Amino acid sequence: MKRGLFVASAASSALAACSPIGTAVNGGSFHRLLTIAEPLDYGLIGTHGLAQTYAESAISADFPLNSLPTPSDSQYAGFVASRFQSYRLVVDGSVDRPQAFSLDHLQTMVQASEITRHDCVDGWSAIAGWSGVRLSEILAIVRPRSDARYAVFYCMDRDQRSTQYYESLDLRQASHPQTLLALRMNGAPIPIEHGAPVRLRVPTQLGYKSAKWVQRIEVVGTFTKLYGGNGGYWEDQGYEWYAGI
Amino acid sequence: MKICRSIYKYAVATRLSHWLWVVAFGVLVSSGLQIFNATPHLDASDASDPARRVVSIDSPVDGLGTTTLFGRTFTTTGWLGWTSDGLGSYAARAFPSWITIPAYQDLADGRRWHFFFAWAAIAAWLTWLLSSAAKGNLKELVLRPDDLPKIWPMQAYYLRLRKEPPPYGLYNPLQKASYTTVLFALAPLVVLTGIALSPGIDAIAHPLTWIFGGRQFARLWHFTGMLLLLGFWLVHTFQVATQGVVNQLTSMITGWYRPEGNQVVPGESP
Repeated sequence: MKRGLFVASAASSALAACSPIGTAVNGGSFHRLLTIAEPLDYGLIGTHGLAQTYAESAISADFPLNSLPTPSDSQYAGFVASRFQSYRLVVDGSVDRPQAFSLDHLQTMVQASEITRHDCVDGWSAIAGWSGVRLSEILAIVRPRSDARYAVFYCMDRDQRSTQYYESLDLRQASHPQTLLALRMNGAPIPIEHGAPVRLRVPTQLGYKSAKWVQRIEVVGTFTKLYGGNGGYWEDQGYEWYAGI
Repeated sequence: MKICRSIYKYAVATRLSHWLWVVAFGVLVSSGLQIFNATPHLDASDASDPARRVVSIDSPVDGLGTTTLFGRTFTTTGWLGWTSDGLGSYAARAFPSWITIPAYQDLADGRRWHFFFAWAAIAAWLTWLLSSAAKGNLKELVLRPDDLPKIWPMQAYYLRLRKEPPPYGLYNPLQKASYTTVLFALAPLVVLTGIALSPGIDAIAHPLTWIFGGRQFARLWHFTGMLLLLGFWLVHTFQVATQGVVNQLTSMITGWYRPEGNQVVPGESP
């Protein structure tokens, strides 16, 4: 994830409007032409296969931090003070049985573990061990309705302009066996800076999909009415919704 | 003997794909350097590993740019590390704004340009390959074992150590060697190392990422392939500029080429 670049990216999108090439590209018809590569990539690569798993000895000594060290949300400080006892993961939207999960509840569910590589869109990679609940298990409990197509993840961090971090997966990606709601990292509860208490892990896509500090999952038919309409915080700033490449 | 008659050397698919490559290669290099700038170092490893860092372009303090290659650090202020930021100022930035697309730091747009023109380059390569193969033209271009003894005499001719080039067909042995390397080794290398960087590809075709030594290593190969192609481009444009630039450019636009020297035109006896 690259939330640390919040300020920089806000500045660059503002400045892009001043530059001729920025004007031509951002929102112009040429930019729309450039974006046709994304559905082509998703159609050809999609979400198949399994991300590589590693031995414990391969775990990176240093897992870079490319985000804020902690969410700015005041509610989050309260969660930390209660050692996340007051935290609830709300799962709702187009589902038959909306539910709020406590951390204790999530911990009593079947835990899946994986040691996988995190590939940042910036170019670096780091390996860590993650364990938690498969997102498919949560979806099986809440039962998406027939019009459901995406799971949207709302996070507890906001940028300088108070825009909330969010992400989305289609239900195929959400049901991938390696897509986890991770509770632990390298054998210990996830540290705050890495997304405590619940972090999404999507090892088959780039790191910005692996949203930290998830508080709510909304199952929807479409995300075009949410925020910038592109299905994620970075997607609204021009990054691909399909982050498999 | 001198043959003055023009020959139809380049099929329309060859000419179109050539100029599409010119555009695509320029965009791919520039947007690739934009993407590189987001993590300006290359490691010979799967996950990032500072212990296996091959090259790193940094700015340790404002106003200073450094490039570290195999552990040796060089000051490269103004060119690498501390460079123009595309917004009228200088900043900690590996490659300068005048060589990146977009000029200012914008990874999202750099990726959009890169992936679109990657498809354009692949489409051009396939168009050229299929149409050349269908017409049976590839045998004129691809290096064959009996060309190997002619490589040194041709090089000696270029170095003015020899008065006459060895007899050759549509392409001389050095051209065949370099075009074969570029079209059948370097082009596939940059495409394969590029897609090997994708987590989605690693999940469905792991041997591809594994062959190159892992994701970061594939990024190193991808960059190296780009440098080799850039080297070809420099030699190629030098050759075109010095070996009858008008004839060369005209032929790649119209298809018609005026043979010279010891060229043996297909269909005619030498």
